Amino acid sequence: MQLDRRIILKAVFLVSLYWSGGGAAQAQAIRVVTTIPDLADMTQQIGKELVAVESLTRGVEFMHAVPVKPSFVPKLNRANLLVAMGLDLESSWLPALLEPASNPKIMPGQPGHVDCSTGIKVLEVPKSVDRAEGDVHPKGNPHYNLDPLNGKVMARNIADGLARNYPQHKAVFDKNLAAYLSELDKAMARWQTMAAPLKGTKFVAYHSDWAYFANRFGLQQIGSIETKPGIEPTPNHLVGLAQKMQQERIPLIIYGPQSDRYPKQLAGQSGAAVVRLQSISGGAAETDTYVKFIEHNVKSLLAALKKS
Amino acid sequence: MIFPIVRIPLMVSAIFTFLLFLSEQGLAQNTELESLRALVKGMEQQLQQALQRIDQLEKEKGSTVSRVDQVERSVKAVQSAPSALNPAIGMAIDATAEQRNKTGGNFNFRSAEIGISASIDPYARGYAFFNGSGDGVEVEEAAMVTTSLPWNLQARGGRFFADFGRLAKFHPHEYAFVNSPLSLERMVGGESKADGVELSYLFPTPFFLRATVGGYNKIGAENERLDDTKSRAWSRFTYLGRLNTYFDLSDNHSIELGTSLAYTPSIRVPEDPHGGSRTLSGIDLTYRYQPLGSTLYQGFTVGAEFFGNSERVERESGYRRMFAPAGYAYAEMKLNREWSAGFLYDNAPSLASPGKKTQSYSPFVTWNMSEFNRLRVQYTYGNDNVNESKSESGSQFFLQWTTVLGAHAHGFRTR
Repeated sequence: MQLDRRIILKAVFLVSLYWSGGGAAQAQAIRVVTTIPDLADMTQQIGKELVAVESLTRGVEFMHAVPVKPSFVPKLNRANLLVAMGLDLESSWLPALLEPASNPKIMPGQPGHVDCSTGIKVLEVPKSVDRAEGDVHPKGNPHYNLDPLNGKVMARNIADGLARNYPQHKAVFDKNLAAYLSELDKAMARWQTMAAPLKGTKFVAYHSDWAYFANRFGLQQIGSIETKPGIEPTPNHLVGLAQKMQQERIPLIIYGPQSDRYPKQLAGQSGAAVVRLQSISGGAAETDTYVKFIEHNVKSLLAALKKS
Repeated sequence: MIFPIVRIPLMVSAIFTFLLFLSEQGLAQNTELESLRALVKGMEQQLQQALQRIDQLEKEKGSTVSRVDQVERSVKAVQSAPSALNPAIGMAIDATAEQRNKTGGNFNFRSAEIGISASIDPYARGYAFFNGSGDGVEVEEAAMVTTSLPWNLQARGGRFFADFGRLAKFHPHEYAFVNSPLSLERMVGGESKADGVELSYLFPTPFFLRATVGGYNKIGAENERLDDTKSRAWSRFTYLGRLNTYFDLSDNHSIELGTSLAYTPSIRVPEDPHGGSRTLSGIDLTYRYQPLGSTLYQGFTVGAEFFGNSERVERESGYRRMFAPAGYAYAEMKLNREWSAGFLYDNAPSLASPGKKTQSYSPFVTWNMSEFNRLRVQYTYGNDNVNESKSESGSQFFLQWTTVLGAHAHGFRTR
């Protein structure tokens, strides 16, 4: 009996030690949850060892069809900071998770909710909002992360958000931000040179995700496979599009997380090259950071253009 | 020779005069040059000032543009965030054409449901659903939910769908099939509509675990055994407890499990002076295959729910406690972006004599034209031995058209 009790006491002691130890380790790191891997990468670069970052999505999802998983709820519940893209990019799944998460400090408008779209020059803001136009984005195109110059704005917003909530570490965040911004600047210069052959290239997109990327590197979209955002094409629409592509000698078809069925069919009819780009980072080793993700897109486009 | 002599002074004077004239001219020119210089200098200064002014204006213009941009964005934000000033309003319309092999066909206007929701203040959100159907218009839900209670708590009060089971708390137009399963109808009384109050708690575990407790007049939209409007003793309210958890088996596979208990200490049966308690228990299970990279095109869901009802019912020998088990299970597969197909099995006993039951088998195919517009065909074969005389069987055919307009949380979702 004596021995038993000692063993039990020891076990209780060890368990409590484990719990308190775990608690202390958790208390040290700022728990940041981000909606997409781009933001997780940037937060990691700016927060370094001060933060423990996790992205809810992996980078392979279609942003408008992210499964609403209850397993996201405890992550949001424990988060000190939520970093989101805003502009309704996450509107189909994030609000449904925030309510059951019972974490008032990361609700929209609160200091713990970092909206990275602050200060972004938004493209394609619709003049009228009507679902007859398909899946319209009332606030404009939310895929602004595709322009690396916007990447700098996003990084600044994250650093501001971190400093707003943890002013005692502001100097560290500022230093890391400066280093990251100069890394982005260097990469930007490289991409501008690399992407020179892309200037003026016309393309057809599956879904109009690419405005910011096209804008930065001088590409020009002349049509889309979907008849309207989120509405699958009709056979007539595809025939018309193929004819237009042949007449105007369009060399590229760009698609993202959609099926390759229509892009390949259209390529067969028009002779253009098909290229799959990423609209967010993550998902694969060659796109696991923001910088690698932009680089991957630029290289994929150059390779496809060579083929066409 | 006089000529030259005379001429010389003349010439000299002429030269003098000329020189004088020239010098005068020069003097005049000098002053003019100076004034010109001054003029140029003045103009230069003015130009300099103008350039500075232009620079300044450019700067001001830049800040004005960004200010206009800011104002435009905030106006747009207000316009596109309806809950900021006005509640978000949406409507779901659900209609079917039905054909029964015994009684013939019918166009069935099932419901037009208007939903309104908005934040009330920093502490609560409110929402309501008004449903118009063949039976008239009724308030299906109108409830307040807290948004900032401490300790992971959330409270809800008013009229709402109680947190019992997996399907009862959703509006039927959100189901994967046309009709609410008969087992759900008989056990819960359709949707788990209830007037009361509920408190839920999210456990601080790394996985999702949530508990709910509640107290209501009664649960069930079509539950006629208790009256919603009369005052009652504590023993005649219905009390609920639910535990709900969820696990990701991998990135693409997940399991959701729940168990619920609704307990009414005393249900008055008019002829039975002793009343008696009613216990309705349920276990629900959902398996989902959602391949992250292609949720638009692929997916598979299995949903099942088992109920057990225990209450005193009238028998020939007097009142006796009876236990009635019931349940449904369905599987649905997404075939591509627009099409999905599935099968529902439903087993619903009579509460009064559990040996007698209705079973049905329903294959269904759904075409999602968009996220907000859906057509569905369903065939249902049912057999029934609830009637005393003889067992019956029959088939039904449904064509359902459902749309969602305005603000609606997510269009249709995998249930």
